[in-house]
Amino acid sequence: MFWKLRLPLILTFLVGCVPVVTFFLAERVPGVSIVPTTVERYMVIIAGFALLLGVVNVVQGSVRRIAQRRPGWPFAISLLAGLLVMGSFGVLSALRVGPFQGLLAGPRGEVTPFLWMTRHFFDPLQAAIFSLLAFYIASAAFRAFRVRNLEAALLIIAAFLVMLGRTPLGEYIFRWAPGGERWLPGLTDWFMAVPNTAAQRGVIIGAALGAASLSLRVILGIERSYLGAKER
Amino acid sequence: MKLERLVRLDRRIIYLLIAVGTLLPILWRIGFPVSPTPPVQALFARLETLGPGDIVLASFDYGPTTAPEITPMARAVLRHCFERRIRVVAIALFPLGGVTMGGEVLGEMAAEYPALRDGEDYVYLGYKDGTQAAMKLMGASFASVFPFSNAGVPVEEIPLMQQVRNYADIDLVVSFSTNVIGEWWANLVNAQFGVPVAVGTTAVWAPKHFAFLDSGQILGLLGGLKGASEYEHLLVAAYPRLEPLYERAGVYTAMKGMDAQTVDHAIIMLFILIGNAAHFWMRRRESARRPG
Repeated sequence: MFWKLRLPLILTFLVGCVPVVTFFLAERVPGVSIVPTTVERYMVIIAGFALLLGVVNVVQGSVRRIAQRRPGWPFAISLLAGLLVMGSFGVLSALRVGPFQGLLAGPRGEVTPFLWMTRHFFDPLQAAIFSLLAFYIASAAFRAFRVRNLEAALLIIAAFLVMLGRTPLGEYIFRWAPGGERWLPGLTDWFMAVPNTAAQRGVIIGAALGAASLSLRVILGIERSYLGAKER
Repeated sequence: MKLERLVRLDRRIIYLLIAVGTLLPILWRIGFPVSPTPPVQALFARLETLGPGDIVLASFDYGPTTAPEITPMARAVLRHCFERRIRVVAIALFPLGGVTMGGEVLGEMAAEYPALRDGEDYVYLGYKDGTQAAMKLMGASFASVFPFSNAGVPVEEIPLMQQVRNYADIDLVVSFSTNVIGEWWANLVNAQFGVPVAVGTTAVWAPKHFAFLDSGQILGLLGGLKGASEYEHLLVAAYPRLEPLYERAGVYTAMKGMDAQTVDHAIIMLFILIGNAAHFWMRRRESARRPG
């Protein structure tokens, strides 16, 4: 119980208090600023291990899927192959082993194996997957953007005004009027600067308050889901 | 065409129109005009006040998924810096491809200015994990976050980095970001260390940054491909010798990309109008058929 629950809670409390307390003491007490700086340095290292944890999780899940022949198991093989190849290329390039001399182009412009894989596989595949969104958005816009009530009508009007104002089309439409080429773009700028900013500000403040509240709950040991334990 | 068939239009027709609408303007340039907006002009004006003694920190916080939107703005800003002999310290904080994005873009732009020296006029420090922790730690010391450059040279041996200890030695931070990282530069780095920050981000994330723009936490904002095209337009207007670089055939620029985006926007708006018109017509017909 002590090692699995109490010790992690004590460590969380102590480490969580350090940045908060030192933030206020740093300017008043000489030498205190070394403490949060050291903790932040540890965080950068630990963040790297968090990535490693993700990799282990993906490998375990994929191996299980292949072993149990679950639906989509051939894709797990291609995922593991990609992970192994790019991962090993990256590690060997960072260690500068044999032909793997660095991640980017060499001093004479020669392309390293990692960069070749990035240019010919990683970049095009990532861009292709993301590009599919354009087609899905167009299809969804046709099927789902229906003016069924007042809110939907306001949403579509705002969407139209922003889409027109953020492209040269908005300038062309009222070009015939004196100063007309700035009407729609100007309205779009107003949308962005006033209603949008007001709404985003509310969201940002709400999210920040939520994050502060959750952080306090974690530091005080009330929120324990990260330990696999129930909330106190 | 019957209304029912129109409302249930095969989505492959929509996909085909979007594909054609994207491809044709890229192959045959339309050349829509570009009008700069105040958030873009603000960043441009700030860089116009900087010169050979100043240092800009360029943070490549995006990957290949958003490269078509953000790489043009990164190229334009770096060209602007190199044109004015502003020194550039480049880093990457995005794990999925940020390190190669930064290295490739910086390398391409530096190659256009052979008089500039790696290590003296620009340096690429590479990628570091733990985004917010790294940002905060750079406020104390760059060397503690990036002890080596991406090429493996200790930072204490790099002439440019001998003049950059922390944010106090940076005149402007420009983050080319794909998600919340741009916000973190504003609410962490600008708020705690006071260093001016500008953000170039995707059109999807740009609306969220207007709150930071309004509060002064970021001094300029490049939003999506439109923002990138505006910056390119300002750059070419101020430095006409760069115009051939943007008019080269076969080279992708934001101004060229805006042609395709404009056509696609028009197609999507047209489909929304057609879909709603058919939907309303069908509802009218059904209520007319209903007895009483």
